[in-house]
Amino acid sequence: MTHDQLIYLFLCLSVMLLSGRLLGEFFRKLRMPLVVGELVAGIILGPTILGHYYPYLTEHIFTTKGNIGLVLQGITSMSVVMLLFAAGMEVELAIIRQQGKTALKASFVGLIIPLVLGFFVGREFYHWFGENNSGNILVFSLFMGTAMAISALPIIARTLMDLNLFKTKIGMIIIAAAMLDDLVGWILFSVVLGMMNTGVGSWGFLYTLGFTVLFTLLMLTGGRFIINKFLPWAKRKLSWPGGILAISLGFAFLGAAFTEKIGIHAIFGAFIVGIAFGDSVHLNEKTRDIIHQFITNIFAPLFFVSIGFKINFVANFDLSITLVVIVLAIVSKLLGAGLGALWGGLKLKEAMAVGFGMNARGAMEIVLGLLALQAGVISEQLFVAIVIMAVVTSVMAGPMLQYLITGEMKVGVSLKEINPLSTDD
Amino acid sequence: MTSEVTKAPYPFQRIAVAVAFSPRVEAILAESKRLQDLFKAEMIFIHVGEKNLQQEQYLKHLLHRFGLDAPANQLLWEVGDPVEVIIDKCKELEVDLVVAGALEKESLLKYFLGSVARKLSRRAKCSVLMLREPDILSKPVKRIVVEGSDHPKTVNTVDVAVYVAKQTHADDVTIVQESDVSKMALIRSDVFSDEESEEHKEKIFEDENKRLDDILKCADCGTLKVNVERIDGKPGYVITQYAREQKADLLVLNSPDTKLNLIDRVFPHDIEYALADLPCDLLIVHSRVQELSE
Repeated sequence: MTHDQLIYLFLCLSVMLLSGRLLGEFFRKLRMPLVVGELVAGIILGPTILGHYYPYLTEHIFTTKGNIGLVLQGITSMSVVMLLFAAGMEVELAIIRQQGKTALKASFVGLIIPLVLGFFVGREFYHWFGENNSGNILVFSLFMGTAMAISALPIIARTLMDLNLFKTKIGMIIIAAAMLDDLVGWILFSVVLGMMNTGVGSWGFLYTLGFTVLFTLLMLTGGRFIINKFLPWAKRKLSWPGGILAISLGFAFLGAAFTEKIGIHAIFGAFIVGIAFGDSVHLNEKTRDIIHQFITNIFAPLFFVSIGFKINFVANFDLSITLVVIVLAIVSKLLGAGLGALWGGLKLKEAMAVGFGMNARGAMEIVLGLLALQAGVISEQLFVAIVIMAVVTSVMAGPMLQYLITGEMKVGVSLKEINPLSTDD
Repeated sequence: MTSEVTKAPYPFQRIAVAVAFSPRVEAILAESKRLQDLFKAEMIFIHVGEKNLQQEQYLKHLLHRFGLDAPANQLLWEVGDPVEVIIDKCKELEVDLVVAGALEKESLLKYFLGSVARKLSRRAKCSVLMLREPDILSKPVKRIVVEGSDHPKTVNTVDVAVYVAKQTHADDVTIVQESDVSKMALIRSDVFSDEESEEHKEKIFEDENKRLDDILKCADCGTLKVNVERIDGKPGYVITQYAREQKADLLVLNSPDTKLNLIDRVFPHDIEYALADLPCDLLIVHSRVQELSE
């Protein structure tokens, strides 16, 4: 890289981080997730607004061409791998195991309804959703199902906190179900992306599915065992917290490289390594916090701001597609998660509140959408619709909960009152 | 799910001891004698295996030698699967506590397959005491560490720990509250501001402290010194580590909610961290107030 290119690169990173943070904080003041501000920063500085009037300025801030473009592409790929690693660390196998069959039931209902609805809408309206490169209805339909099924764990945690259900049995069932949904959702998504590489014939599908499941099982058993043996050694021999930070991300990239090599997308390796790492007894709260802060405050903004530079949100905005995606997302998740919560023993209003909490798709939906766009599974119009859906569902969760809680619903209701069986062990 | 009310988890009026002809049999019987005297309990010795005159005479001799041949005590010779037989007998005879010797650590294969003592601890419907280093010579119980998790069973577990501490004249009891890091991680995302995260965390801690205060108010502690410690980390693991670091003599934990199986060892149940590497003697308290039928 030349001297000038380096200057441009550093300026670009600086603008992305600063604008993302400033707008993120502004939106947080409006009680919206940080990621909304980061997306808006990209939209303002990218081709949608600034680039529309001053294209050369946008091109100077974020270019997709030449060496700088290559470096930026590398940084955003690295960021998304780290994001999935952090998302994996949120999945707690012990919670899923503890809640057992009840969580399985709730997860099944919460997953199957959005998955089936998304799949059928995707299949029936394949051409209507815009041109894509997959050329296959099955891959596209599977993606639509997965996109509807995924949820945002932190927003669910917030929902349960606001409902005073976070530490209760039913709260833990919902958390476990959402974790299970996410795990299955990312496995499915990896299969979808894998099918793009290996073809959609029965062998291609079986090959990808087989490797994905095998990798998951191996990492969550043998991989976890190795990490649990390795971390105490690292704690003793390496400096803290730098050593653990380097090792955790080192393992994440190793997992990413491995899955990319065997034909499953890199993000899946990072996600599963994140689960294995997060499950370790040797990872204390401070270490988790440092990894989390490092990823969500530096690499996540770079990724989310960069989205706005890659897509023109105005040119690719299609009102009808956006409305259909939003309605489909809300209806399918409210039905699925709401019925799951009802089955778990909640009353209608509480179940609706849980439905709205799980309806929030959050940042992970945007990651899913962008990867699908890059893989050629979806069109730019559908990607824009998915981003808007992720923001709308996340933003509406708060006010809807507020309405449901401050209405007739009793706040701070004890678990015994909600479900007399819930104190059973 | 059904629930039925059965006997209270303490006092330990009827204690069963799993007896095998191992090198540690004398030490186990010496410990049994101390338990009999401390808890004024009837003792039931269960040996699973074909009856053999020589072994029977040897066992009777040992019981006599350790002063365990009181008329109220029973010696049972049974055949079948040792774990099944002991569990059935404990249920039939309404045993309050079953005692078994256990190695501190087992080979990986044996851990996954399960020894008699560990299988008992995972499945018994009464409290289980696993003796890590049974000794012919008396060892005082000075320090007891007890689980203080946010679980309906904890109230009974603390009660039992206090009861045992009093009977054994322990110096102190420490209740360990484990703050589950993974649950805390969920309230630290960008959905919450830093202040909100702290507020929620404080609220959780406040609720837990209040719950523990209520438990302690009800527990008949008397002059017993009871400490409370909060430790961040994975439930089950941190309390095991704490008991080891503090050189505790007895670790008291809630019984598992359901029968544990291989999956609970692959993705460890909280109690499995203690079973994998016993830090000291382990008492698993079965509350017996509610019984699950799956």
